[in-house]
Amino acid sequence: MAPSQPLPPAGPNLDLLFDLAPLPLLVLSPAWRITKASARFLTDWRVAAADCIGQELLPFVRQQLHLTRPSHLAYLTSSIDDAVAARAERTTDPINTTAAVSWRARVIPVFNGHELLSILLEWSDGPPPTQTEDDPAKPGLSIDEAFRIFVQGVKDYAIFLLDTKGRIATWNAGAQLLKGYKRDDIIGKHFSIFYGREDLDINKPQMELDICLREGRVEDEGWRYKQDGSRFWANVIITAVYKDGEHVGFGKVTRDLTERKSAESRLIAAYEESEKLKYDFLANMSHEIRTPMHGMLSACSLLREMPLSDKQREIVGIMDESGQVLLQVINDILDYSKLTSGHFSIHSDVVGITSVVTSVVRTSQATLPPSVHFELFLAPDLPRSVQGDPLRYRQILQNIGSIRVQASVQSEDDASYKILTEVIDTGIGVPKDAISNLFTPFTQFNTTTVNRSQGTGLGLSIAKSLAELLGGTIGYLPNPDHQGSIFWFTARFKKIKSLDQMQNWNTPSPAAESPTSPAAERSMEELQQELGALSSTKNLLVVEDNLINQKVMMGMLRTMGFRNIGLATNGAEALGTVRSKPAAYDVVLMDINMPVMDGHAASKAIRAAGIYVPIIAMTAYALKGDRERCLEHGMNDYITKPVDREQLIRALAKPGLRR
Amino acid sequence: MMMEINDRDSQDSQDDQEEFDPMAEFGDHVEDAIFSQILEMDESEEEREFSAPLILGFFEQATETFDKMQVALNDGNLESLSSLGHFLKGSSATLGFNKIRDSCQLIQQYGHKLDVDGSAVPDEQLCLKYIADALEAAKVETEELQKLMRKFFGQPAEC
Repeated sequence: MAPSQPLPPAGPNLDLLFDLAPLPLLVLSPAWRITKASARFLTDWRVAAADCIGQELLPFVRQQLHLTRPSHLAYLTSSIDDAVAARAERTTDPINTTAAVSWRARVIPVFNGHELLSILLEWSDGPPPTQTEDDPAKPGLSIDEAFRIFVQGVKDYAIFLLDTKGRIATWNAGAQLLKGYKRDDIIGKHFSIFYGREDLDINKPQMELDICLREGRVEDEGWRYKQDGSRFWANVIITAVYKDGEHVGFGKVTRDLTERKSAESRLIAAYEESEKLKYDFLANMSHEIRTPMHGMLSACSLLREMPLSDKQREIVGIMDESGQVLLQVINDILDYSKLTSGHFSIHSDVVGITSVVTSVVRTSQATLPPSVHFELFLAPDLPRSVQGDPLRYRQILQNIGSIRVQASVQSEDDASYKILTEVIDTGIGVPKDAISNLFTPFTQFNTTTVNRSQGTGLGLSIAKSLAELLGGTIGYLPNPDHQGSIFWFTARFKKIKSLDQMQNWNTPSPAAESPTSPAAERSMEELQQELGALSSTKNLLVVEDNLINQKVMMGMLRTMGFRNIGLATNGAEALGTVRSKPAAYDVVLMDINMPVMDGHAASKAIRAAGIYVPIIAMTAYALKGDRERCLEHGMNDYITKPVDREQLIRALAKPGLRR
Repeated sequence: MMMEINDRDSQDSQDDQEEFDPMAEFGDHVEDAIFSQILEMDESEEEREFSAPLILGFFEQATETFDKMQVALNDGNLESLSSLGHFLKGSSATLGFNKIRDSCQLIQQYGHKLDVDGSAVPDEQLCLKYIADALEAAKVETEELQKLMRKFFGQPAEC
């Protein structure tokens, strides 16, 4: 163990020994330069000694071996470093070459004391390099095999193959866990074994395969049965499998959704329960609120009948109005909750579109200041009566109800009419950014300005839902001619097939009201005063064939302050007069039964001529349906004969004169 | 408040007396409410420059119409009778002359071969007979009413 024992001089024997050793050997200087190479090395590496001796190791190896990865050279450097540092031999990882061989080097550092004399590299064949060396599937595993193992090992999904007939061909761990069948028990059985009685009765398994062949895949959710007879809620996806364009079977993936399903149904049950509670609560509350509210309002109206000072009357008025608004709010909320919970029913009844619209206009008029001018245009082709829900139609109109109303038939087929109703106003309009939210519940766009319209912000969304219930749509447009808005909606109504059907409708239409009822709330003196202020500037046309009646009408109208009264003795004359001066008259009072041309025909012709002067019919027939017929022929209102002064005042005090 | 109510009541009864007393004599010939509306159109209750000529005009119209009805009756022209009935019914109703109005209604109905209730009366001769009766009644009623009116307006109303 003497540290500096001199080496015996290297004799030719030793050189020969090195040369003839059946090993590919290299001797390196401490600076990794090749100083010696064995004959076997030169043979194996097919290199001449002159090209080898004296070369730097790394460039030499890089040049001689066509490495698949340059990084493999690092195996060599790190092994040499390692061996030198440890003063012990090391073997590199296989260094792959493109020539489908790999090389390992055994590194032997040779020290004399602390001095590195040389490094001996002994090369040997490594294992043949594989293409998949760096793929996740480790060397020796084909892709097919990887997938097979993967599928086999999946425990959360049942994944298996069916042959073209639907018989089970493969079985994975997931399938065994989920369905309970062992691999040997199930292979070769038809997959309908998993289905329940009901599904089998409708031949569902085969249907699924048929659909799958047609569409390429099929997905289903339903109950599937395990070996022990218990069932689970499954999501099943079947995919048709083709090999080289030929159908070879089906791939089936089944997932157990029992947990999700039960969570879902718990959630739905909880939601339904809370919806029901909410609805019940609202219904109860609004009932509880409405009952005393009605009591209060009745008391209010009784109080109004009593002699009160102006101040007191004003206060009662405020109470009454606020009560009405509150009632409306309650009704809105109830309606809305009914609509959203699907509790809303649509009735089928006879609807007189004209009378509903007229009645809404009249009611709205009564609630608005006199400065608001109202006009009602009914298209001449509006049907007299249709079948549908008059109450809902009325409700929509009331909800969007505003200043100007126009109703017309938009489209018509064999069984139904689609009625377009427009409400046009010249009010403040709707700002652009609010349009998209108009029909959203609980939004009111103009919250900043001082607003007379109190409410829940539900009106339009109720109207929207109702219109949809009636098979129509609702919308908004800016008024093209003025500032203001156009709200429109359509609703579908059935045609009434025959007269017999008409007569079977014994129930009176709820919209058919006495022609003067809403205006009756305003006192006669008020109306008379109002009319007196307007009448002297207004032009009337009285159409009446009977001289005595003419005189009485003229007399009555004069006492109301009218000075400009035209006269026509039959419908034809009236039509001629109105046509020649379309803008001359503010109101036409039209007798119905007249010689030459009756009031119905005359009104129809006036409307057909595009003249929308208000026409008030005067008819001796006070039968139900007369009113509808008058309105249907384009007249705006009607009064009965003999003409009663008060009735006439009420009719004339209505919108038509308020230009 | 009590005072107010009392005031009103007394005022109402005063109104009642003024309006109803002279009209009581008309009996069921005239519908008070309608006829008083006509009278209210007079600017002066003494002159009655609106109602007096109007009523006079009505009797002229009635007489003319009765003549036309007679002609139609002789011709057996139901259609014309019905329309004449309707015509005079209109003006008599306007003035509140109930009896004449009702007779005219009969004439109009039977002219349509219907009775008062609207049931069909297919027998034309029967209809013509009923119309003749109603026309006769209407003439009598008109005459009676004319006397009452003459008295009311305090001037001779010629036919």
